[in-house]
Amino acid sequence: MTRQEIESEVKKIFLREFEVENPEMDLDLREAYAFDSIDAIELLLGIEKFLGSELTQEEKKQAMDIRTINQICDYVEKLVATRKDAPGVN
Amino acid sequence: MERRVVITACSAITPIGHGKAQIVESLLKGVSGIKPLREDQLVSRFIHSKVYGTVDYPIDYDFKRQYRKTMGPVAYYACQVAKEVLEQSGLPQDFITSGNMGVAFGSIHGSPTVQRDIYKVFFEAKDKAAYQSIGAVDYLKSMVHTTAVNITKMFGITGRVISSGTACTTSSQSIGYGYEAVKYGLQEAMLCGGADEYDTITVAVFDNLLACSTAFNSEPSRTPRPFDKLRDGLVVAEGAGAVMLEEYEHAKKRGAQILAEVIGFACNNNGGDLILPNLDGITKTLKLGLQNAKINASDVDLVSAHATATKMGDIIEAQAISAAFGDNPYVIALKSYLGHTMAACGAIETILPIYMMQDGFIAPTLNLEEIDERCAMIKHVQKVLQEPVKTVAVQNFAFGGVNTILLIRKFS
Repeated sequence: MTRQEIESEVKKIFLREFEVENPEMDLDLREAYAFDSIDAIELLLGIEKFLGSELTQEEKKQAMDIRTINQICDYVEKLVATRKDAPGVN
Repeated sequence: MERRVVITACSAITPIGHGKAQIVESLLKGVSGIKPLREDQLVSRFIHSKVYGTVDYPIDYDFKRQYRKTMGPVAYYACQVAKEVLEQSGLPQDFITSGNMGVAFGSIHGSPTVQRDIYKVFFEAKDKAAYQSIGAVDYLKSMVHTTAVNITKMFGITGRVISSGTACTTSSQSIGYGYEAVKYGLQEAMLCGGADEYDTITVAVFDNLLACSTAFNSEPSRTPRPFDKLRDGLVVAEGAGAVMLEEYEHAKKRGAQILAEVIGFACNNNGGDLILPNLDGITKTLKLGLQNAKINASDVDLVSAHATATKMGDIIEAQAISAAFGDNPYVIALKSYLGHTMAACGAIETILPIYMMQDGFIAPTLNLEEIDERCAMIKHVQKVLQEPVKTVAVQNFAFGGVNTILLIRKFS
């Protein structure tokens, strides 16, 4: 899965779950879109769905410091790299 | 320190209308809010009572996503009346968020619609993925204090939070405990009320207790019939009501419009059976209320009775009213228009008499065609009266043996 595809999937989650269209990549999500801890949990569920695999508790905790869309994409990129069966991974 | 507590705003969503103009028109025209029970694909086909006090008109909600995400239907009702009350009160934003204002708001059990969805997942889950579909927000939508904290979140209220969940006395306790918080100087203002959403499980509970009306399924507007010879039980309903309670000097200083004054509150328990009405317990509550308000029984000129239209409940309440107030005050039963709005009934049944105080009329008890002789010792109202109302007693009683009374006076 390419960085561009990850970005596209993350943006889809933001539109579907948080009603945010084309979020800015480096804005602080809390300040710009009132993104909060509840949204973070919903985001992780969305990521699990498109990866097709469950995140470990440790992986979920690592997400708690994320502040921007770019950081979410970095996070997902790492997850994809550790999963052989993630979408787009051969 | 005892301070005067006034009501500076109120709003209600009810089966007979939303806001004062619609509600007063319905009261004056004798419009009933009782409609056929909706098919729910779950329990409605087993329920004998086929009527419900229904909010069947659109409400123009305008809540942002960050608020909507933790709100079930009951919180929509609660936040809407809270929003209207805050706007009407004219309280400035810096006061609302100062910590000097709190919220007392409840529902009988959070959002049953959301709870139903959660249970459905539990009972039907075949794998972990289904289990994980229970979202992070489901608890926040369905917990018993969901109304109170969605209000605090939406409006940035940082004061006390009281969220009683005592069935039919939920919002009379909200107003009563909010009143005490302001009266004794713990808060300068309290936003108080209650809400409940459309829910067939509540109907099923009362239906199984043989407490619901079943004889008028084909003519919903003819039931409930408080104090009437043909009454055959209560009708469950939905709705919401909110009032702004404010310390009198605070309200006066900012030039607020004062709608009425809360002069007393009492609450007790029957100390025994959790369901059956109790004459001693209720009579004591009413007398405690008079003591708390420091007024005589003859000072009360209108009683808003709990009067759910059950066979025994109405008789016991009539006897208690007679014992506490004699036959002086007019007695009305607003559930005859609305049905039993559960957690909202105390607030709604406080607000409607305030409208009557403001406009100088008393709405009759609907469907009271032939007074049951066992309830005849009190002064019932069977047609619209153009009479000034000065002091109202609002009575509510709940499963669990909880009894409340609020004493409301026209402000002067």
